[in-house]
Amino acid sequence: MSNPAAPALESALTDRFHFGQILVRKINGAFVLSHCGDETRKKLKTFQSAEDAIELSKFDDSGNYRPLKTAPNLAHGWRLELARLEELQRALDYFYPGRLAVFLAWKTGQLHTTPLRETLDRQSGMYRVAAKISDDQIDNVVGDFCRSDGGCLRTILWKRDQRGTVSSAKLPLEKFDPACDQIKALGRPGSSAFAEATADKTTPAIATIPLLCQEPCNLLVAECRKVVKGKDKR
Amino acid sequence: MRSDSALLIVAHGSTVNPDSSAPTLAHAAEIRRRKVFADVECAFWKEEPSLRDAIFLFDPQSVREVYVAPNFISEGYFTQTVIPRELELNGRTTNRSNGQLWKYCEPVGNHSMMTELLLKRAGEVAQDADPAETSLLIVAHGTDLNENSAVAAKREAEKIRTLGKYAAVLNAYMEEPPLISDWQKLTRSPNVVVVPFFISDGLHSYEDIPRLLGIRSCHPKPLGSFTGSLDSARDDVESSQREVFRHNPYTAGGRSLFYAPSIGTDQGFADIIIEQAAKFDSEAYRDRGTKFIAKN
Repeated sequence: MSNPAAPALESALTDRFHFGQILVRKINGAFVLSHCGDETRKKLKTFQSAEDAIELSKFDDSGNYRPLKTAPNLAHGWRLELARLEELQRALDYFYPGRLAVFLAWKTGQLHTTPLRETLDRQSGMYRVAAKISDDQIDNVVGDFCRSDGGCLRTILWKRDQRGTVSSAKLPLEKFDPACDQIKALGRPGSSAFAEATADKTTPAIATIPLLCQEPCNLLVAECRKVVKGKDKR
Repeated sequence: MRSDSALLIVAHGSTVNPDSSAPTLAHAAEIRRRKVFADVECAFWKEEPSLRDAIFLFDPQSVREVYVAPNFISEGYFTQTVIPRELELNGRTTNRSNGQLWKYCEPVGNHSMMTELLLKRAGEVAQDADPAETSLLIVAHGTDLNENSAVAAKREAEKIRTLGKYAAVLNAYMEEPPLISDWQKLTRSPNVVVVPFFISDGLHSYEDIPRLLGIRSCHPKPLGSFTGSLDSARDDVESSQREVFRHNPYTAGGRSLFYAPSIGTDQGFADIIIEQAAKFDSEAYRDRGTKFIAKN
């Protein structure tokens, strides 16, 4: 069985690292995964199969379905123990589908990005109308829908258009920097999620595999459509 | 399969139905377990990884060819327009800049093994019913958007009808005649088996069709109405949704009604996905030409 992302994972592997809201620790040769806010929490429910990640990533703490896996609403209360690197890779692929492969492509210089305007222009059917969105509206939609504190934890690599305009002037520069751990954004003033996301502010920063976004997702295209159709006032 | 061949299963997915991608992920896990391909991945229109992510899923060093199998009931807008466009396919075969050859297979529902699978599912759900005294209803959505799924459902019904095994084999739809809600008028046999011709279970198979059949009048309890733990509430909701498949046979108008889960949830789908990929390279299939690739 080929493991396309395994080399990248192996090279990025440290004794502990963040991948989105997941904390991965290497303990006695095995991998232990948990919500990054649960490191010191006791009474976690233990799972031992990579496939368990499918259900663990499906609902948030309130039981709501998570259509966007990179949204900052991963459920708490679980601990996933995996013996082998292949299992770790598969579990991380279930938690954040496709992100390891995109990370590998980026590390090896093979990732190409697609501007939002190009994505919108090639839509058909009910999404064709989304291309009519104005630049100001894009600024607002992307600034809101993609923001790390409440929207999505991916690091945006794509631009607004072919001219290289920043995707949204309303997002902080860290949102575009793969070196920044996006869960830190959960600590911005007004965010109640921060205390859970980063249990101890005194601990040094740990290694991070960024959740890279090479092209606007279908959910963002749907948001753009809503704005154009007047169903969203942004 | 060659040792450097991979499989990409493409499905629709959903932003609202948590069960939409479940069968596709399960089929992928089963095919992965069999080690038929060097790598097996999934991609979705409405979930992750996206079709655009899929371009990066296979290591060009170890994977030289990728079979793209659309986990759809029929050819249609998604298989003819959306998937080729998003995956940047330019025909039945596409040579990518990384040296990989991508092979675009027919939708899984098009495979001739579907007939066998429908028969198997109908037989399993109504084990004690004599087929000669049983009507089989294959339910499709039936709207303009899914025109081709209705065509596929008709084709399957016709194939099963010619076997002469069942008293009657009929198509029924949710939104156009013949309506599934008229099942008592449409059939005359003492037993009726209903199989939804969908890729996954969801609102249609859990609630809409049961309501139209008259076998379910209430919605499952919302999550907030449970007093136990969140885990048990989730289990209860899922169990409550699937409960509709566990009370066969239902009795109505003096007849026995057997209701099956969507055909796409059958484990046999994994075999069909593999066969659909294998079929791509067969000579007979090669002669079919490029009709199912339509430029947008």
